[in-house]
Amino acid sequence: MNVWDGLRSRLADFQRRRNRENDLDRELQSHLELEAEEQEESGLSSEDARYAARRAFGNTTLVKEDVRAMRSGFWLEQLARHVKYAARSLRKSPGFAIVAVLTLALGIGANTAIFSAMNALMLRPLPFTAADQLVRIYSIQQGMSNSFANPDGPSAPDVRDFAQRSRIFQETVVYDTWGKNVSFGDSAGEPEQMHVGLVPGAYFEILDIHPIMGRLFTEEEAQPGKNFVAAISERLWRNRFAADPSILGRKIRVNGEPYTIVAVMPDVIPAWVEPGRQSEIWTPFAFPEAWLETSRGGRGFAALGRLKPGVPLEQAQADISAIAVALAAEHPVDQGVRVVVRRLADTRAGALRPMLFLLMGAVSLILLISCVNLANLLLARNSSRQRELAVRAALGSSRGSLVTQLLVETLLLSLIGGAAGLVLAKIGIAGVMRMHPEDLPQLVSIGIDWRVLTFTLLVSLTTSLLFGLAPALTGTRLNLVDALKQGRRSGNTGKRGTRMRNILVAAEMAMSLMLLVGASLLVQSILRLEHQNLGIKQDHLLKGHFYLPPVRYSNPGAISRFCDRFASRVRALPGVIDATITTVYPPNNGWIQMLGIPGHSVTRIQDIPAAQFGVVDAEFRKTLGTPLIRGRDFAESDSATSPPVALISEEFQRRYFPSEDPVGKQIHIGPPQFLHLAVGDNTADAADVTIIGVIGDFKNRGLALSPDPQITVLYAQHPLVNYGFKWIVIRTSSEPRLLAPAVGRQLHELDSDLPFAEVQTIGELVEQQTNGERFTTVLLSSFAIAGLVLAIVGIYGVISYLVTQRTQELAVRMALGASRANGLWLVVKQGVGMAAIGAVIGLCGAWASQKLTSGLLFGVSPVDPVTFAGGAVFLLAVAAVASAIPGARVMRIDPAEALRGD
Amino acid sequence: MQKPSGRAELLQGTLDMLILRTLLFGPAHGHQIAKHIQRTTEDVLQVEHGSLYPALHRMERKGWIVSKWEMAKDRNRESKYYRLTPAGRKQLVREESRWKQLAAAVATVMWPAAGGRS
Repeated sequence: MNVWDGLRSRLADFQRRRNRENDLDRELQSHLELEAEEQEESGLSSEDARYAARRAFGNTTLVKEDVRAMRSGFWLEQLARHVKYAARSLRKSPGFAIVAVLTLALGIGANTAIFSAMNALMLRPLPFTAADQLVRIYSIQQGMSNSFANPDGPSAPDVRDFAQRSRIFQETVVYDTWGKNVSFGDSAGEPEQMHVGLVPGAYFEILDIHPIMGRLFTEEEAQPGKNFVAAISERLWRNRFAADPSILGRKIRVNGEPYTIVAVMPDVIPAWVEPGRQSEIWTPFAFPEAWLETSRGGRGFAALGRLKPGVPLEQAQADISAIAVALAAEHPVDQGVRVVVRRLADTRAGALRPMLFLLMGAVSLILLISCVNLANLLLARNSSRQRELAVRAALGSSRGSLVTQLLVETLLLSLIGGAAGLVLAKIGIAGVMRMHPEDLPQLVSIGIDWRVLTFTLLVSLTTSLLFGLAPALTGTRLNLVDALKQGRRSGNTGKRGTRMRNILVAAEMAMSLMLLVGASLLVQSILRLEHQNLGIKQDHLLKGHFYLPPVRYSNPGAISRFCDRFASRVRALPGVIDATITTVYPPNNGWIQMLGIPGHSVTRIQDIPAAQFGVVDAEFRKTLGTPLIRGRDFAESDSATSPPVALISEEFQRRYFPSEDPVGKQIHIGPPQFLHLAVGDNTADAADVTIIGVIGDFKNRGLALSPDPQITVLYAQHPLVNYGFKWIVIRTSSEPRLLAPAVGRQLHELDSDLPFAEVQTIGELVEQQTNGERFTTVLLSSFAIAGLVLAIVGIYGVISYLVTQRTQELAVRMALGASRANGLWLVVKQGVGMAAIGAVIGLCGAWASQKLTSGLLFGVSPVDPVTFAGGAVFLLAVAAVASAIPGARVMRIDPAEALRGD
Repeated sequence: MQKPSGRAELLQGTLDMLILRTLLFGPAHGHQIAKHIQRTTEDVLQVEHGSLYPALHRMERKGWIVSKWEMAKDRNRESKYYRLTPAGRKQLVREESRWKQLAAAVATVMWPAAGGRS
């Protein structure tokens, strides 16, 4: 259909409808005339005859309405008319419309934003075929105060036994992700530290991902020596190799060794599936020793399984738990290990899951507050429109049609509000994206899709129906005679309306207080978390990571030599006060080491003494600034040839030497003989060490947990634990960040193939570790502010309405001698009264919702009395101010004028 | 609003039947139909004239009647005349038998002894 035809058919349609209207008018007119003539013939005057005809006919407007209702497409016409009218009526009161739309936009926007997060983290289907069959397998060590390096991963032999002894899996895979030094081709410049997935070919099979080109890893390639093949991500292929179609066969260097590219994989696997960050490169999982019986205790791998079709998760969990019990009976290292099977999709949100629920609760409150505001606005507006409504009712509009009209208005508001909310949500999401999404990889996928749009639409519709209906019903409960009579009091819907408004405002205040209390608790918590004493002098500390690959640093002696040279070069840099090469840096944990301590003979695995283990150089304590409590520090004289020595922390002494001086005592580094432990863990044979000193506790298992027992030894004296993974921590006299390039250059001059990675100040590290908490705190705080603003708008609106309503009464009071301050107090009292009721309810609500927050708080109680009291007082103050502003109008009332006006 | 006593309000649905019956005699406009119903029932059935039009338009949409603007014979003015269609005649038969059934049923309840006769 071309434009002309379209226009013509539109025109014709319009013509037809006009004709129909004219036709109807004419028909009714002719009826009335005929009747009037007849009446006249029977002797009435012409005027009386016309009236008689009208009386006999009934209400013409109603009849026309009824006739129109008979026509086809009538309801659409009707709706269009309602919408047109609604738009006009909203345009006529822009103040009301803007406040209502903004209120709704805030409420709906906040909900849309959080729902889009929930959608991305919980609801949206995974990009894998039959994803509900995919499960992750976790082993959780119980009953030990210390858990192993990665408490959540199973060991390879355990996973193999789960697969072999149950009949629920189609396939299982064990894989891992390591940070490795990668350089591309011969010409490529700087080496980089990248996350490399160590996976079997089955890893891609289980996820049902097929290479864009090339092939998956074969079984033989899981053998060391044959494993020098790599798959790269599509992203890497496009960004680094300009989507080179002849990429297969090219070589990249990983940890100094050449790997041949055999496949390009599509970018389907989200970062949260791989442990840690997004892998761009995968190489075969070539650890035959990981599958040996002696490695059963070597937990910490990632494990995926694909269940057979139709196997419910509960059955999978029951089967695996039974096998875990059997394994524990056969293998002592499996004692006290609980195995958990979870759907892959449910592991997506990770640590953000509880926070999301908290936030969803918060935005629901915001939405409720907005809706209450809307209902309040509508109540006030409808009651001030009583005369208009009454006129329309008198002219023949039925109550149903009036209610529909008011509802259509609300619907229009809600839809505009919803659209504005969508824009707000979009802005909000963009803001969240700027908050370190790389540390919360789940957030990357947040966006607005059809699910979010549907949600927003539903929320908008529900809002208008639920909160528009009551005001529409009250608004149209008209007494025509009263409403049409002139007079100021016409706008009063009576006690009912007023009481409803008061209740709504109190509810608003309650919800706003709950948000305030929650946000304030989280803010206190994060401040405490970030500003606590780590047990070191944490300012002016820079840390960075380097890895000495075994190809070029094949023995511990070479590693020691490199570290010593690097550290001494860095120490010589201007601006550097001290530097240490270490495997631990607060607040991160190193690895946990089982120990043999005289007087602690054990038979059960749960009772084996264990401590956080650091392998460092002699400058460790001085660089970090931890106090020496007793004994002596490491010294230059402690060398490879002198007797091995160790420093322990105060917590270590409290736990294992509660009543004696540990200095001079001997400890055995390694587990007791009855245990075979993890992959490559040769520490069972490590030498005994002599404790030479006790140092202060420092945070060594994250920010939130109290320090664990800590023991540090010298890498020079412990070749068996002197691995290539090392960090350097540097104390500087000036801004530490500025020194990073100079330190990187030193590393480069010693070995141009080593990247200087994970460079951060300790301050930045602390910030990074609280990213999840900060994310929640920032969001919850903005929601609390939004809620407060909405509540202020609510109380302000109600009080100003009240002032208008009571102007006459107040004028009378003043005329009778009440002071203006009295009048003001009368008004403010109302507002504060509502707020007080709201505050009591809000405090109860905050108390009842402590379960939501308790798990997220650090160092502050979820029912902290100071926060509760402070929040309530603050709310009352705000309510007083918000009611005093419209209340000030009372001060300006001129009693004479107010009383004279009708 | 009070209705004059002695006048009955139309039973729901019977208006259609009365209109169709009226049109059986030939085309008529709204005013004539109203007057006819009133006259033939000796003013017992009081039709509010306005209520006729929604019914007329509805029946026109259903195809029972058709309408046309025509000049009245006695007056110098056009009126909208309605006339029955074949479908309308069938509808009238249906409504009539339904009405008879209803009336008989009511009668058996009211005067059981008389065997359905008043």
